[in-house]
Amino acid sequence: MDPRRRRWRLIRKVSNGVAAACVAAAVLVLCTFGFDGIPALGRALDPGHGAWAAAANAQLPQPEVLRATGLTGPTLVSFDSDGIATVQAGRLADAMVALGYTHARFRLTQMDLQRRVAEGRLSQLVGSSGLASDEFELRLGLLRTARREWAVMPKNSLAARLLTAYSRGVNDYLATLRAGGQWPTEFSLAGVYPAPWTPVDSLAVQGYLAQQLDYTTSPLDYAVLAGSLGIGRTMRWFPVQTAGPQHPFDEGPYRVRTAAASGQRTGGPAGQRTGKAAGQRTGGGAGHGSLSSGLGSQPPAAVVRSAAAALALTSGIRVGHAAFLPVGTAWAVNGRKVRGGAGSMLAGTAALPGLSSEWFQAAITAPGYDVTGVSLPGLPGIVIGHSKRIAWTLTSAQSQSALYYVEKTSHSRPGDYFWRGQWRQLRRLHYTIPVRGGSSKQFTVELTAHGPLLTKPGVASPAISVQWTGTGGSPDVAALANIGAAANFTQFHAALATWRSPAATFVYADRSGNIGAMTAGSFPVVSHGSPWLPMPGSGADDVAGTIPYAALPLSYNPPGHVVAAAGQRGAGAAYPYYLGTSANDLDANDAAGAIYAALDRRSGIRQEGAVALQTSPVSEMAARVIPRLLSALRHANLTSAERHAASALRHWNHQLSPGSAAAAIWAAFWPDYLSATFGPWWHVADVPVAADPVGLSISQAQAGMARDLEMWTLADRSNPVFAPAGAHARTARSVMRAAFATAVAQLTTLFPGGPSGWRLDLLSATPVASSAQIPVLGYGSRAAAASPWLSGGQAGAAPGAGGSAGGGGLAGASGPGWRMIVRLSPGRAGIVAEGIYPGGQSDNPASAWHDNLTARWQHNGYLPLPAAGAAVTGAMRWEFLP
Amino acid sequence: MTKVVSKSEADRLGKRGSYRLGGLGPSAPERPGPPRPYEMTFLRPLHQGWVGGWVLAALAGIALVAAGALFALWFMPFLIGLATGVAMRWGGWGLRVTVPAVLVMTCGGWGLALGILAARGQAVGSTAQTIALVAGLPEMAVLTIGLTLGVSAVQGLAGLWLGRALVPRPARD
Repeated sequence: MDPRRRRWRLIRKVSNGVAAACVAAAVLVLCTFGFDGIPALGRALDPGHGAWAAAANAQLPQPEVLRATGLTGPTLVSFDSDGIATVQAGRLADAMVALGYTHARFRLTQMDLQRRVAEGRLSQLVGSSGLASDEFELRLGLLRTARREWAVMPKNSLAARLLTAYSRGVNDYLATLRAGGQWPTEFSLAGVYPAPWTPVDSLAVQGYLAQQLDYTTSPLDYAVLAGSLGIGRTMRWFPVQTAGPQHPFDEGPYRVRTAAASGQRTGGPAGQRTGKAAGQRTGGGAGHGSLSSGLGSQPPAAVVRSAAAALALTSGIRVGHAAFLPVGTAWAVNGRKVRGGAGSMLAGTAALPGLSSEWFQAAITAPGYDVTGVSLPGLPGIVIGHSKRIAWTLTSAQSQSALYYVEKTSHSRPGDYFWRGQWRQLRRLHYTIPVRGGSSKQFTVELTAHGPLLTKPGVASPAISVQWTGTGGSPDVAALANIGAAANFTQFHAALATWRSPAATFVYADRSGNIGAMTAGSFPVVSHGSPWLPMPGSGADDVAGTIPYAALPLSYNPPGHVVAAAGQRGAGAAYPYYLGTSANDLDANDAAGAIYAALDRRSGIRQEGAVALQTSPVSEMAARVIPRLLSALRHANLTSAERHAASALRHWNHQLSPGSAAAAIWAAFWPDYLSATFGPWWHVADVPVAADPVGLSISQAQAGMARDLEMWTLADRSNPVFAPAGAHARTARSVMRAAFATAVAQLTTLFPGGPSGWRLDLLSATPVASSAQIPVLGYGSRAAAASPWLSGGQAGAAPGAGGSAGGGGLAGASGPGWRMIVRLSPGRAGIVAEGIYPGGQSDNPASAWHDNLTARWQHNGYLPLPAAGAAVTGAMRWEFLP
Repeated sequence: MTKVVSKSEADRLGKRGSYRLGGLGPSAPERPGPPRPYEMTFLRPLHQGWVGGWVLAALAGIALVAAGALFALWFMPFLIGLATGVAMRWGGWGLRVTVPAVLVMTCGGWGLALGILAARGQAVGSTAQTIALVAGLPEMAVLTIGLTLGVSAVQGLAGLWLGRALVPRPARD
């Protein structure tokens, strides 16, 4: 052979070999390690393992015997056909081991995601898109708080034992996953797997849930609004006290409690209050300072800039908008209000952000603790439910749990801040945030005596710090365990004495026919200043204490036989303590008023009646406003569709039924009316809505604005708000006509078939988030009945309605989750309870228990709760052995 | 190489009978033999061994890939492809046979593994949809299944190429 040909052949052979080796290496590297966000494809897509292993995890439980660490005796867990779990154990701690295992088995993704968000490790799973959340949470300090709580918790205390037992159960399941490789899909694709669970993780998850319900940025919003609208208009439209009729469950009389008297009770259990009375003061004392009773001062432009910068930290992530989340409703009746006149009835809805199915339904039977209801994966215990003697539920309470301080710093003293007459050094904490697909980020948090700095000091904008009540920790685990063991209201009230966060209103009922409503939580009291605005951080406006527990709003066996909570202010105008402003009022639609009106009219309420009240409520606000609207339309030149709509409203019973066209018209009209009224002011003042689209936009969830507008519509139709400067003269009537026309046009566009096809449920389709809180794994939009029971009024907002100045808040993003009705009887009838939530017990989309409850929930169905103290039955069961 | 000739033969050039001197030149070309019948190249029986044996080997390959998947040996398609590339040298199979064989073994193996999961009652279809969703793809099970089989196929083909490159077939003269 020609030597040249031989040489070329050799070159071709070697080149081919090198190329083949390179390609093989690249393929193997990609399959083993992944690259730049692409998961390790070989591991991830291996049919028997990787992401496919979730298929095995989706199978329903089979009878099996399992070994669990930390058990002292056999423990049983059974499941009914809907996946509702019943745990039976010889000790409460053993029950928590089983509960931890069960939670992890069905909700591991949810638990790990919430843990990561709370502890600032979301980026480790999702990449750089999680950095904003991680930085915020590390700044706020949920992890610091959890670690500190665990460090000081006596390890032989009830809470510590339950947290430890729960962690053991979770870790037992994680060990099973590690051995079998059957991780949920999300972890297999990411190549990032959950770390072992610790009590600190449970406490961090607790803090995260409290933050979702209770963290507010309202003082920052006030500052930004004042910067545009002026402090006068801001406080008129977002007043401290919400305008219009109020429906507190505690109507007084109120007492200012001294520190020494804070533990004393008057009258019956927990300071029984009867009837209405003007607020009475028995003198001042610690805990009630001289709050500024004025509007507060116009914030300087520099503070406004800092406030906007601080808002920007959270505008992209879902925090700081507790006031705009539906908080559910709760009511209880007794006496003649209950059929038969004996016992009581309690009903409640409880929402978590995003209409989520974060709840996990379970019943736990252990000595001294026989409770059934819903739990929150990540935490040991039942949060809402009933025992053999009492029932309870909770809603978020009006509270301003976050105070903001403008810190004094100096360029000549970097790293220092001025407080109480001295320059002091900022405390610095350094964190490393691992980022999947990228390099870790170094992050530093600076803290003052008040709390973490949200903004850095600059030439044109001072630094702002936040003091949030949630960073003080809260013994919720112990409180819930003690609630489950309570036999009466005195014990129930005592169990919540140390509850700090989230501020919540608990509604109570027992088999003896007693009912009650009470607020629990930490409400800061400042000795000076306007806490609804950012305050100077020099020390004069610091927190001087908290509202004494005995002085918090409370109602026990009211003469009207009704207590109701819907996020409204729990006490009347004469209440001597600061609870928050209308921006923290969670009842923009006067749901509490609607509940009281409906229940006051009825007696002998049966279970079926309670279902109707809970699923097809009446809008009292609509009942008040619609006549004014119809009056305004009387001589107007209406189109055919508008005439049809007006006719529908005229014959409407104000019931928010899913198929109601009139309800759909109202749901479209009200946000448009708000926008038409306030929009021109927002436009002229150039309110920077983009700084906080939820908190600064015109929204039906803004209780202050909504209730103001109702009041002006009813009693002050020539209010200057209807005639912005420079605009042509308007009155409430003309604005209402314009808003009505806009609403009808929107509905006509959305439903081209005409008014006959308008339905409230189609208008308020609500995306249901999956329990794993992964957006792509949501259940899709589910038509949900709009409801004034939903404080905030998100459901029912027409798409695109709600404001020309930035949108309608979280319209369509949230709704009532868990629904429960409990009938408590003193005799052999005992307790009969039913409940439902959207979604299913499993967060694995391939599981038959992932979405099995949604259809029933959507159609207003309920499932019976397992009886408290019931033994484990059924074929689907696990037996845990030590 | 020329023949050695005598002087007398050289003197007879140009004379009668000199045609017998054709032998003075180089050897005359041989007459070509009878033409061979035409045969299709991919059917040319150049491979070694019994065809049935090769088929059985391919089935074994499928089984090995499937078993590897079920035992977390996700790299088995690569090894099978590598082995196939090496076996080519002895077997004499061309790419037109080998590439499809590797594809059948790798995709068939992982497909068989998925089938076994489904036979066990596991929700393979729903899981495939979930994987697609989480991966940011349209919620279609066929996408995930196709991607899974594609990963297996790519591994196999990479192994095949490397195997061929390591032990190439000798070139024909």
